Amino acid sequence: MSSTSQKHRDFVAEPMGEKSVMALAGIGEVLGKRLEDKGFDKAYVVLGQFLVLKKDEELFRDWLKDTCGANSKQQGDCCGCLKEWCDAFL
Amino acid sequence: MPLLVQHPAYFSKSRLKSDLVAHNVALPPAKSKKEVYVELYLKHIDQRSDFSSDEEDLVQDVTVENPVVAEEPDPRDLTDDDLKAKLLEHGVKAGPILASTRAVYEKKLRKLLQSDRHDRVNGAEKGVLYSDSEEEEESEQDEDAESGSEGKSQTVEQLEEQENSQNGDFTYPQCFLLSSRLHVPASRNREPDSKGNALKSSARSLSQNSWIPVGISRSSSVDRCSGVGSVSLQVPPGSQSVSSQAFSITQMVEEMESQRALSTSSNTEGEVNGSNVQEHWPQSDRLDMPVVDEYYTPKASPYNQTMKEPLKDTFKDLLPDNDITPTRIYATCRRPIKGAAGRPVQYAYPETPASPITLERREVERHLVPIHIQIVVFLIVACLLYLIYDYAEDNSLGPFVSL
Repeated sequence: MSSTSQKHRDFVAEPMGEKSVMALAGIGEVLGKRLEDKGFDKAYVVLGQFLVLKKDEELFRDWLKDTCGANSKQQGDCCGCLKEWCDAFL
Repeated sequence: MPLLVQHPAYFSKSRLKSDLVAHNVALPPAKSKKEVYVELYLKHIDQRSDFSSDEEDLVQDVTVENPVVAEEPDPRDLTDDDLKAKLLEHGVKAGPILASTRAVYEKKLRKLLQSDRHDRVNGAEKGVLYSDSEEEEESEQDEDAESGSEGKSQTVEQLEEQENSQNGDFTYPQCFLLSSRLHVPASRNREPDSKGNALKSSARSLSQNSWIPVGISRSSSVDRCSGVGSVSLQVPPGSQSVSSQAFSITQMVEEMESQRALSTSSNTEGEVNGSNVQEHWPQSDRLDMPVVDEYYTPKASPYNQTMKEPLKDTFKDLLPDNDITPTRIYATCRRPIKGAAGRPVQYAYPETPASPITLERREVERHLVPIHIQIVVFLIVACLLYLIYDYAEDNSLGPFVSL
């Protein structure tokens, strides 16, 4: 990624609190809805999945693809923003 | 032969898909139903494993693969701990295997197993390829020996052939070698017909691609000078030398060809390239000049004489002080790029920055009175002096008179 999106910067700028999944970069309305249907309604639940996969990008991308059918750019965006958030706040 | 325990109908769709792919079965359209996959699975994979004991030669790959498939346990059947251990075997440190992460790890394990299998298959294919190419090489060398023994300039050929095989230091510039290799099949395929044909074809191929033979002829001329020079060094450009020349070139080309074991499939490609080269030749000759003149051999081959005729004057202009060396190879230093080879200077370079002295002078000049004002002043002064002189002359007597 050459530059990060506004969504990415907003997410990484502060603790995620009770933000919804759709606040994650790369997760729009469609993917957010799918994730919510599977129980991942908050961003921190997705973060939990990311952490439980030991922040492994490949595995997380696989999981994201299986769960909500994200394409590779969306996977990358989501992964990048979670990773950066972890670097900043964990 | 361990058989698959489960009926394929119980397999997941993705499992069926991956198995079909592993058995080189063409997949049905992406949106077809599971039944289609099951059908295909039954048809291709189960059948094969049944027949494999009968015709082992035909379906050898399946018999090799099936044990792998069978011994590979379905990741779905493993317990969490087993799955973790399996992953560890493949060098993956798995995290906690939970309901939400299990699917991911299963997928990972399947991928790892599949990549292992692919590696094995690829290795076998490579071995087959290499042995094939070696055989081809040998047969081609045999062909060369046969074709080399025909024709009337046999001795020359053999001598040269020996030269080629003995001189280990025979190195060709890569750019020439590639293109000449591409041209080989054109002359080579026609050669075995008859001798006259061979001559013609080689001559034709030479005239077709004027650029490539320069490189080859250089090497051939070197060859002659070193070894067989007494035979054909001083031969005037006539039919005899043409024949030997043509044969030596085809010989050379064949030699290279056999060394490289080029597949004959590049035949058409080579011809296409040849025409391309020919087309580009007249346009790009100037640009190529500094490169080509290294291999320029003016007297060694009659072909070069005829081919280079239109270029000769430019060459003389470029290299006025070149003497003919015994090896007929010119070594010239590289020409400067700017305006080289008579090209017009397309880009005017900006003037170099002036030295401090000239800057100073300009500064002084700026403060001086402009030149036309100087001239005017000079004229005015001259007129004034003339008037004074005139006046003085008129009144010259006056003062003296008055005195």
